[in-house]
Amino acid sequence: MSSPGSSAPPVRYHVADLAVARIAARRARAVPSVVGLRADLSQTLLGLAGTWLNPDPVPPDLRAEGVTVAVHGDRADVRVTVVTELGPNCRELALTVQGEVARAVREATGLDATVQVTIADIELP
Amino acid sequence: MHATTDTARADAPPGSAAPASAPAPPAAPATRAVLDETTLVVRAQEGDVHAFEELARRHQDALFRVAVRVLGNRADAEDALQEALLDAWKKIGAFRGEAAFSTWMYRIVTNRCTALLRRSRPTVPVSEIGDDALASPGSHSPERAAEMDAEMAALSRAVARLPEEQRTCWVLRELEGLGYAEIAEITGAGETAVRGRIHRARTALAEGMREWR
Amino acid sequence: MALNPTGPASARTPDPGGAPVQMLACGRDAALVWDHAEAGVLDEHERTCPHCRSTVSDRDSLGGLVGRMAAQPLRPPPNVLEQVMGAVVADLRPHDLLVLAPGASLSRPAAAAALRHIVDSMDGLRARSCRIEQERPAPDPAPDGTDATIALPLRVTVTVAARFGVDLASVTARVRQMMISAGERALGVPVARVDIHVVDVWDEREDR
Repeated sequence: MSSPGSSAPPVRYHVADLAVARIAARRARAVPSVVGLRADLSQTLLGLAGTWLNPDPVPPDLRAEGVTVAVHGDRADVRVTVVTELGPNCRELALTVQGEVARAVREATGLDATVQVTIADIELP
Repeated sequence: MHATTDTARADAPPGSAAPASAPAPPAAPATRAVLDETTLVVRAQEGDVHAFEELARRHQDALFRVAVRVLGNRADAEDALQEALLDAWKKIGAFRGEAAFSTWMYRIVTNRCTALLRRSRPTVPVSEIGDDALASPGSHSPERAAEMDAEMAALSRAVARLPEEQRTCWVLRELEGLGYAEIAEITGAGETAVRGRIHRARTALAEGMREWR
Repeated sequence: MALNPTGPASARTPDPGGAPVQMLACGRDAALVWDHAEAGVLDEHERTCPHCRSTVSDRDSLGGLVGRMAAQPLRPPPNVLEQVMGAVVADLRPHDLLVLAPGASLSRPAAAAALRHIVDSMDGLRARSCRIEQERPAPDPAPDGTDATIALPLRVTVTVAARFGVDLASVTARVRQMMISAGERALGVPVARVDIHVVDVWDEREDR
């Protein structure tokens, strides 16, 4: 929710989790040295027989590929899982992704984003 | 594993040991060496998915062959293989190396086959062998090929009529070429029981094929 | 690992112990006679005795067909392994993470694989186990999570196999040094300690 302008009638809108997730995914993927995003378990398991390892799957519409988002009021909790390659500094990369995604979400939606970044794999040469 | 030589054991205070002028990583002479199975198993046990994938790749054909022959069709065999590989990933931490890794994998896939058969027995008669899966390509004479395929199909049906325990043991012995001791380890039955099952399977198949000839 | 796709005739122990399975009228165990026929080690009695011969002829009539069945190529479609690996890859256990900074973490297996790669890329060495422990945060963390300047240091324990003839002392000293520098440069985490255990040696010739 947001009310831009001081005297104009308030414009109320809600940004869906999925929209934030797409923004976050797009920005994360654009960070140099990010090779790709990685879907988390419950996504990959769709299509696999049975439920495996995850008794409590998160509904699929709550995330874009590799990204989980929960919007609470004017805040968004974002989790991004990325894959990188051997060479660049993982810690710096994670902090860059964290900062860039938070900024992108804020710019596009006005939401204050808390971003958790996990590097799931390092591709070896 | 051999003698543990505790070679370089040292404490380095954080930050002091890596000067900014650290050398670039060495150019790998052979990028991905062919790794031995022990190495792959240890790595997979520590969560290395690439090592696990390599293990799965090396063993999947054998596991699939067993599953097709025990279950009698490819579709179920694909399910059994998939479940077996997921089981292997989940359980690999418990693999202690007291048996060969291949033995351990055979055990997992045969357990999955047994579970699938118990689940589907009432509706899917195992004798409905997927002969399509087993068609032999490229024979010179079509009639001869057809005859050979028919004979092979007859054997497949005879195998499918065997009791499950006999079938599993027979497949491991006659199609995979395993020894009695290893089959005993895979199936958890005693070696004498295994020999008995295999022999009964053999005589039943000989009987079944006699009338075909 | 040697699989045995080539069929039943290879690598057999002809006479396993244990009780007889099916006694023939001549006193021989039919199961053993069958095994002997398969291995081509029939003795004089088994070749001539009519009871044994009936078993042998059963085995002979079935043998070729069974051999052909064993030789049929059967391979799973590639999507089975692909789907399995998709699930395996996504099976990132929450406790299996190293902390890079507040809100930033790195898969421990991925970090281990990167460090193993350093060992693998050295001539004559191959990493097996690579265990990484990270120091626990102090019980009294810096206020507001602003302690983001450095990550908590790692302690690495690797086991390696070495080719015969490799100078273990100098090579492992180099491994140690490279792990420390790679930890800091590529992972961004200080490495406080590296323990290297040589657990096996291999000979190039038997290593195919």
